[in-house]
Amino acid sequence: MSGATTTPAAEKRTRVTENGPAGEQPEGLRARLAGSPVLRLVGRRLMIVIPLLFVVSALVFLLMEALPGDPAQIRAGMDASEEEVEAVRQQMGLDRPGHERYLSWLGGALTGDLGSSVVSGRAVTTLLGERLPVTLQMAGMAFVLSIVISLPLALAAARRPGGLVDRFVMVCSMTLLAVPNFVMALLLVLVFAVGLGMLPAIGFVPLAEGVWPNMRSMILPVLSLAVPMACFYARFLRGDLVEQLNAAAYIDTARSKGTGPWRILWLHAFRNSSFGLLTLVGLNIGALVGGTVIIERIFAMPGMGTLMLEGVMSSDVAVVQTCVFIFAAAAVFANLLVDVMYAVLDPRVRYGSH
Amino acid sequence: MAVTSPPGSATLSPAPLAGSATRWSSFRRRLTIWISGSVVALLVITCYLGPFVLPIPSPVGGNVLDSGLSPGSPGHPLGTDVNGNDVLSRLIHGGRSSLTVGVVVNIIGLAIGGTVGAISAYLGGRADSIIMRALDVLIAFPSLVLVIVLAQILGPSLPNTILALSAFSIPAVARISRAATLKVMSMPYLQAAELSGSPWWRILSRHVVPNIVPQLTTFAMLGMAIVVVTEGALSFLGLGIPPPRPSWGNMIFEAQQSMSATPLLVLWPSIALLVTVLSFNLLGESIRDEVTGR
Repeated sequence: MSGATTTPAAEKRTRVTENGPAGEQPEGLRARLAGSPVLRLVGRRLMIVIPLLFVVSALVFLLMEALPGDPAQIRAGMDASEEEVEAVRQQMGLDRPGHERYLSWLGGALTGDLGSSVVSGRAVTTLLGERLPVTLQMAGMAFVLSIVISLPLALAAARRPGGLVDRFVMVCSMTLLAVPNFVMALLLVLVFAVGLGMLPAIGFVPLAEGVWPNMRSMILPVLSLAVPMACFYARFLRGDLVEQLNAAAYIDTARSKGTGPWRILWLHAFRNSSFGLLTLVGLNIGALVGGTVIIERIFAMPGMGTLMLEGVMSSDVAVVQTCVFIFAAAAVFANLLVDVMYAVLDPRVRYGSH
Repeated sequence: MAVTSPPGSATLSPAPLAGSATRWSSFRRRLTIWISGSVVALLVITCYLGPFVLPIPSPVGGNVLDSGLSPGSPGHPLGTDVNGNDVLSRLIHGGRSSLTVGVVVNIIGLAIGGTVGAISAYLGGRADSIIMRALDVLIAFPSLVLVIVLAQILGPSLPNTILALSAFSIPAVARISRAATLKVMSMPYLQAAELSGSPWWRILSRHVVPNIVPQLTTFAMLGMAIVVVTEGALSFLGLGIPPPRPSWGNMIFEAQQSMSATPLLVLWPSIALLVTVLSFNLLGESIRDEVTGR
């Protein structure tokens, strides 16, 4: 949500600077840790994040209750008699009241037992072990690539606002931003797999079968995720940089010292703009996670997204529950990380002074 | 906002050229608004009036014997799909579904989310933090993941797609509405209204709402683009608008299966999506810049 991003950024900036000096001189390691503004911030955010995750898990559980399809019926088989289904229901504990089942699921989840798939009967933790690395690799590569693409583009565009490079970057990014990632994926397949035959259209090759085959199978999915994100970041960063260049007093100071334009961009303007970008990136992790679901589907990648979609279609409650929770937790922790990064990067917070 | 920093404040600008440059950029911005606005208007007219005015066949119930006709075939300017349905007709009817979903979801988002955000900011204190924490829970979910699960729970249909998509539109709008209301509440005219003893509903309806509506409608333009894309993604996954009713998303999915033989069938709905999203984005961004005077 591009419009939604600027306000939390401003909010966070003020929130971070609120963590003023503790007042007393800390002594010893423990006191210093307790007095560390960064750690205090982490602690305070965790106080919000942990209850949030519990509420999220409860909401996911409620949603699963509403999912169509009867897990006991699925486990017992479609031609099972009513008594057999009832027996399976009891055996799975589905006849117990909702809050009891939630608590036992929670207890299991905290001790590393996430239940098992009603469809395949395999443990959810085993499934995660197979699927999570694929998604992590894809999302991680897309994330890095989007930053690597967007930074130079934004800096080059902001070097001369309204110039040829700027206009080119802005027009291209505006157009590419309008291509949804699943359309981007199909267009890439059309050109590089169907047309040129350079890359595989679908499928995933594990890293164990060689780095190059693995990379080849990753190129198109990663590109379809990274390109729209890169356009989004580049446009935001360019806008923020130009604003800094036009309005900030420290830029005028740097200019009057005779600092070169690139140096000003990189060392002065970008350092300040990076905070806004950081917030945007954190908020966008949710979109990235959502994107992996549909991209994995198109490229038949055996990742978390495919696992969740298969689960949703076949009412595999235990699997969907875990996947949805992990996706939500990933987004929550990404934002926590952004808050902490703020504190670490912002000297006012790092040194505990305004 | 626009009053404090007008775009043409050339006297403060460092370079002598800035005056004409600013005028040029504000002219270009207006031009962008006009062009993208016209495209949006054209899309709306084509999708809603087209089926009644244009001589196009029905989007469903085509004859399989007519399947896979190439573009330019008599009676089928863009050809036919695998089921023998006219592609142009499906594009137009699909656009109708997409735009309907987009408009209704945004209206729901603005009405509910906008109200919740404004009230939350106005009440402040504990009520505000409870409401915002509740929204945080919804915002914690990656939007597509939440929408997928909701869509499956509700079952695939047009009204259910709208409901599922509203689940991520409402909290997003609420946040923006809250931030905008907070800004308005720090303004002197609001304190004046409070001091003069206006009741809370009067302050909200006469002072707060008129001042946050421009920002919210601008966001709704960008929101249109997001909703149209998400609806496309949902229908592409088979969880949105169910076939045979056309939607750009389910058209792309159908075409994907015979992509190497008939790539054009993927391209048409993709281009339709691109043009729609692009014009809403351009419209939203340039109106926002116009309003904030950047």
